[in-house]
Amino acid sequence: MFSTIFKHELKYWFKQPTFYVFAAILFAISCFMAAATAGVFDFITASTGSSNIVNSPFGINGIFSGMTIFTLFLLPSIIGVSVYRDYKSEMHTILYSYPFTKGNYLMAKFLSSFLMILIIVAVMGLGLIIGFRLPGTNSEIITGFNGLAYLQTYVVYIIPNMFLFGAIVFGVVTFTRNISAGFITVVLLLFIQGLASGLAGEVENRFIAGLLDPFGGDALNYYTQYWTVAEKNENILPIGSLILYNRLLWTSIAIAIFALVYKKFSFSQNAVTFSFRKVKSERLTKHNFGGITRINLPKVGLDYSVKEQLKAAWRMSQVDFKYIVRSWPFISILIVGLIFILLMAITSGKMFGTSTYPVTWKMLLLPGGGFSLFINLLTFLYAGMLVHRSRIFNINQLIDTTPIKNWTLVLSKFIALIKMQVVMLLVIVIAGVLFQVYKGFYNFELGLYFYELYGLKLVHFVIWAMMALFIQSLVKNPYVGLFILLVISIGIQFVSFAGIEQTIFKYNDAPGYRYSDMNGYGGSVPPYLVYKLYWLLSGAMLLILAGLFWIRGLPHSFKERFAIAGTRFKGITMLSFFGLMVAFFAIGGSIYYENNVTNERKSSKERELSEVTWEKKYKKYEHFLQPRIVDVNVTMDLFPKERNFEASGTYIMVNKTAQAIDTILVNHNNYPSTFEFDRENMLVSEDTVYNFDIYKLDKKLIPGDSITLSFTLKNKKNTLMRKHSPVRSNGTFINSNIFPSLGYSGGGLTDDKVREKYGLSKNDLKPLPSDSTALGNTYIAKDADWVNFEARVSTSEDQIAIAPGYLQSEVVKNGRRYFHYKMDHKILNFYAFNSGRYEVKRDTWKDVKLEIYYHKGHEYNLERMMDGMKASLAYNSENFSPYQHKQARIIEFPRTGGSFAQSFPNTIPFSEEVGFIADIEDGEEGGVDYGFAITVHELAHQWWAHQVIGADVRGATMMSESLSEYVSLKVLEHEHGKSKMRKFLKKALDGYLMSRTMERKRESALAFNDGQGYIHYQKGSLVFYALSDYIGEDKLNGALKKYVEKVKFQKPPYTTSLEMMDYIREVTPDSLQYVIKDMFTSITLYKNRIVDAELTELDNGKWQVDIEFNVSKYRNNEKGRRFYSDNKQDSISYKTEKMRKPMYSVPLRDYIEIGVFGEDDSDDKKEVELYLKKLKITEINNKITLIFDQKPTEVGVDPYNKLIDTDSNDNRRKL
Amino acid sequence: MQLTIRNLSKTYKNGVRALDNLNLEIGTGMFGLLGPNGAGKSTLMRTIATLQSPDTGTITFNGIDVLEDQMSLRKILGYLPQSFGVYPKMSAEELLDYFATLKGVSLKSDREKLVKEVLEITNLYEVRKKHVAGYSGGMKQRFGIAQLLLNSPKLIIVDEPTAGLDPAERHRFLNVLREVGTNCTVIFSTHIVEDVKELCNEMAIVNGGRILKQITPIEATKEIEGQIWSCRVERDDLDAIEAKYKVLSSSYNQDNSLTVRIHAPEKPSDDFTSADPQLDDVYFIALKEDEPIEA
Repeated sequence: MFSTIFKHELKYWFKQPTFYVFAAILFAISCFMAAATAGVFDFITASTGSSNIVNSPFGINGIFSGMTIFTLFLLPSIIGVSVYRDYKSEMHTILYSYPFTKGNYLMAKFLSSFLMILIIVAVMGLGLIIGFRLPGTNSEIITGFNGLAYLQTYVVYIIPNMFLFGAIVFGVVTFTRNISAGFITVVLLLFIQGLASGLAGEVENRFIAGLLDPFGGDALNYYTQYWTVAEKNENILPIGSLILYNRLLWTSIAIAIFALVYKKFSFSQNAVTFSFRKVKSERLTKHNFGGITRINLPKVGLDYSVKEQLKAAWRMSQVDFKYIVRSWPFISILIVGLIFILLMAITSGKMFGTSTYPVTWKMLLLPGGGFSLFINLLTFLYAGMLVHRSRIFNINQLIDTTPIKNWTLVLSKFIALIKMQVVMLLVIVIAGVLFQVYKGFYNFELGLYFYELYGLKLVHFVIWAMMALFIQSLVKNPYVGLFILLVISIGIQFVSFAGIEQTIFKYNDAPGYRYSDMNGYGGSVPPYLVYKLYWLLSGAMLLILAGLFWIRGLPHSFKERFAIAGTRFKGITMLSFFGLMVAFFAIGGSIYYENNVTNERKSSKERELSEVTWEKKYKKYEHFLQPRIVDVNVTMDLFPKERNFEASGTYIMVNKTAQAIDTILVNHNNYPSTFEFDRENMLVSEDTVYNFDIYKLDKKLIPGDSITLSFTLKNKKNTLMRKHSPVRSNGTFINSNIFPSLGYSGGGLTDDKVREKYGLSKNDLKPLPSDSTALGNTYIAKDADWVNFEARVSTSEDQIAIAPGYLQSEVVKNGRRYFHYKMDHKILNFYAFNSGRYEVKRDTWKDVKLEIYYHKGHEYNLERMMDGMKASLAYNSENFSPYQHKQARIIEFPRTGGSFAQSFPNTIPFSEEVGFIADIEDGEEGGVDYGFAITVHELAHQWWAHQVIGADVRGATMMSESLSEYVSLKVLEHEHGKSKMRKFLKKALDGYLMSRTMERKRESALAFNDGQGYIHYQKGSLVFYALSDYIGEDKLNGALKKYVEKVKFQKPPYTTSLEMMDYIREVTPDSLQYVIKDMFTSITLYKNRIVDAELTELDNGKWQVDIEFNVSKYRNNEKGRRFYSDNKQDSISYKTEKMRKPMYSVPLRDYIEIGVFGEDDSDDKKEVELYLKKLKITEINNKITLIFDQKPTEVGVDPYNKLIDTDSNDNRRKL
Repeated sequence: MQLTIRNLSKTYKNGVRALDNLNLEIGTGMFGLLGPNGAGKSTLMRTIATLQSPDTGTITFNGIDVLEDQMSLRKILGYLPQSFGVYPKMSAEELLDYFATLKGVSLKSDREKLVKEVLEITNLYEVRKKHVAGYSGGMKQRFGIAQLLLNSPKLIIVDEPTAGLDPAERHRFLNVLREVGTNCTVIFSTHIVEDVKELCNEMAIVNGGRILKQITPIEATKEIEGQIWSCRVERDDLDAIEAKYKVLSSSYNQDNSLTVRIHAPEKPSDDFTSADPQLDDVYFIALKEDEPIEA
């Protein structure tokens, strides 16, 4: 019997056009995705340059598993339908009386449809294989075909996942007889996955997240998270125990669900329903004899006017709306959505374990893309339900013969969908306010909630509702419609892969808006709304089309529907359609004109080509001798209300070279500008594309002679759609890059494969620090050393404007406020202008004036930031050298400008997002006080950048960023104790290990780094912190002090990382010199782990601990390949009987910390160190025996994770 | 008030010709469409009710070109299909209000009055708060009539409304229909001859997409007066009789013999006795005459 049903089912599916439609769509998408990642579209879009092999096992798993998300949405319409079909066709009443067992029936139904899903997924896999092989793919990023890799992903991940989700959907549909229920189940499972990956954000939770992720992706990540580029390209995927546990767990859940379905299923004819109301039972008899009534219908007005049709649409929408909100798919998504947002609120938005105050804009960010996707899914689903509902319930013949207009019907469905969306958005408000109340934060900005959600966000969903109604009224099966809509809505983001980049070509795409407490939406709303209006018009056209294709009466063939649509397309319908079309094209055209004609727009391909031309044309001027700027005097007039600026300035430049200079190269931007020199010259080349002008001086500038350049610049007029200036109505932050510079700089094309394609030589980025000819410039500026600085800044009367320097005067004139700042000594040619309606908090440290310019309402952490400034000033001036200024200022700027702080001479713009609203819990459990930490870091830059500045060679950021970070760690350690440091260090370690896996070019050692953040911040902080632990803070700081003494405010040649290391080497004992190589000049990683630990109580009441531990280390090359030897012959190894492969290590003469810990007598059993010592290790496998008076509870090798180790969890073991 | 159907033809994709150059004129009053299952009745009614378009032909009602100006017809149309469903979780009152809206009753007070009245006419007032989805077959059919009345239709089309109703419900239903149909055109399809006999002042017999006969029920029986004969025969003799005579119907008696009715202009033999002509006979004669002649 089984095989009969099974075969019959297969035959059925192979006859279904939907099966082929799904397979074809998925084949096309996967082919497209594979081809796009492999660079097929490089001829129309930017080159896919990267060192990542896209079809490595790792790459295949990523893309293949990712694509199966689509297939999840097929489960209800294939596996679900297999049971539902019998019910819907009312075959079940007959079928269920046939003599087969339910086991046979269910198994055959499930397995046949499951097989169909597997076939569809296999077709997708085929699409990938073909996509990677299409002619035109970039052979550099493609490796040979590896069938095993596809098979592994298919067997280990996809089949179990489909089995699990299939079983769940099968169960749900079998019991509810409702396909939408199966569909909602899929959505709920995606929620679980979302929560699992949310958990995985924190290092400690990754194991549990790996277990809980129903897709198994987080389990795989657990093993591959720190894979370097080389490992990703070459390794096959591991099958670790966590992956097996995960697969086992979820497969058992699937089997359990299936067993439950089997047990509960009976061939009954009624679906399981739930009702919360008790039903009273009563005996029913009816009047069998009725009299004859006279029919006298009351005279009523029948009104078919447009006005009445509109009213009717509204009333009918109420009926549809009630249907939606009473259906349990909607209710369950509503509830789960609420829980989802609340969980997100609790878990997310933390920085170093510290959360922020739940300000409203933060709450509005919580739902994120996930929740929007759910609203869209509901919209797509219910659009289908509403369109087809009358047919599903067989009431269509009654409705279709009434004189209601088609457009009234479409409109009523549309209104009902909008009402549903309004309710969904209300969930965000409720969740946000609930969370704020829970946190005791009572500053409810309800106006902001409603403005953003209903003023801005809603229209986005409304436009999707229009598309949804259109598609659903074309397609007869609402689940096929849903699938098509999903593909459209997700796929639209990917069309830029094929070179379609402009927003006006991507349905419902619009420039984003961002809110800041300081600056509101900052002019981002009008362009957004214009785009949305544009899409609304297109959506309205789609609605008209939906009306034209609306089925009235019995289902028609598609041809017939076209003919009917043709006859309906007349009169007002036609007029309004064309009217909308005209408006649509008018807006679209003017946007296009604005973006492509009035303003220059470059596609990513054009940008790439432009970089190429820039380099080919001007790179030759890179080492062209130029005078150097020695004096900067600028005026910046800011008009916050109009968001305009006008600036002018004078550079005094001196020929510091030994040769006469006759050519000046002015490199500027495209703001309308003027340039004037104080001596006769000729503009020999003016480049309006690259804004690179070449002036020939009539009289050569002899060595030591000076020349003055005066310039003006202002922004082009802002329009509704486009802002041409960086000025904000509150919180302006403009840095000195806006002004012209001298000579050639840049070249953003770093990928060698892309460069080769355009005939450019390999890019070695910057020279090595050992290149003594390359030390003439600082890494901040190529056209200046140290300059005199003076600035006049003006702004509106209600704002304060700030530039580096000391305030000389402040005047109010004609409703404007004028400030004059001047530096008392030379600074780097690096400055900024800020302006805003600020409150000011003042304090002093010794004779240094401290100020924080903050936004009213952001008072939360001012004290901590003030303390940070003082602590940093104290630490740096005590340990390194005196502070060079008499003031230090922090200036808040809007988060829309970024979430960072940046240190200019005695002036530190600081984003409102990174500390001003941090909610710091004091005490052991609290997170890191990062507002404080960042303040310390930025202040430290006044030494580490503004006193000591590296030459423009590799490794230069070590002396600025790494050391500022080191200072920050040390100050934090002195303030808050060592325990808080572990959190910081662990986060830094994770950050380093994670980011290096994304490296696109090369990872160099710290002392030779190319300026990557993960090296100079995260690795730098780990290295300097460990170094201070190895050789002692005093010794290290002493060496640094000497170094600062030598190089601060130096003239060229500038210092390098090598020079700093010489000072460090000097104070490092011979036995530890290896540390400098490991940490600074190579990429060295440890694999330390406790193998075994045994505790025995001795007769004398003491405790003996036997610890077996492994220590090994390896080096990575710049692509992340492992090496166990520096000269290919001296590696050491270790192997026991049980091990399949030996362990290798670089030869060891290392000092590794061994720790033994106990608990103190206090109630919370705080950890106490019983033993902590660095032992000299020369072998991989080591054993040590220690005896203690007190009972030890935990042992560890490198227990504080001071060394870089990809698995920091196996360093400790509880006894 | 006149419904005129000219040259109406419709062939389905599967090759079935449901309407075959059909012509029909219907005036005020109850008009019965009699025909076996699959005769094309439903196709005809759906076509008149604007749910389907024919391949060729015209339909006009009261000067309205039904196929061109569907909206105008829908304004005065009341249609009850052969089978229909309702939205779940909606009471009769709510659903009727919904239909009243669909039919263009704009004022809330009007709708309330109207809904109350149709509920009373169809004797559903007491159960107006109950979900229609839970109604019995007869109640649901009455609900169908209730919704049909909402726009005081001039043309009412009911497709096999009495199928599956118990006798009491059937009576009640027919009475209501009769009441409604006094001043307008009611087209009423059925394969139950009794319905037509009781109700209709005019009728047509349809088969194979054609009108076989259009006549009033009274005339119809009058026409064949003296031509219907019945006889009691044994089961085994039936084949012989069928070969010899135009047998209209044969039915078992309790003793396993059969009563056979035949159509013949004169008394065929002494075994036969004259029988009162029934509408059934008219129906069967019409169908019989339309049957293809077997070779």
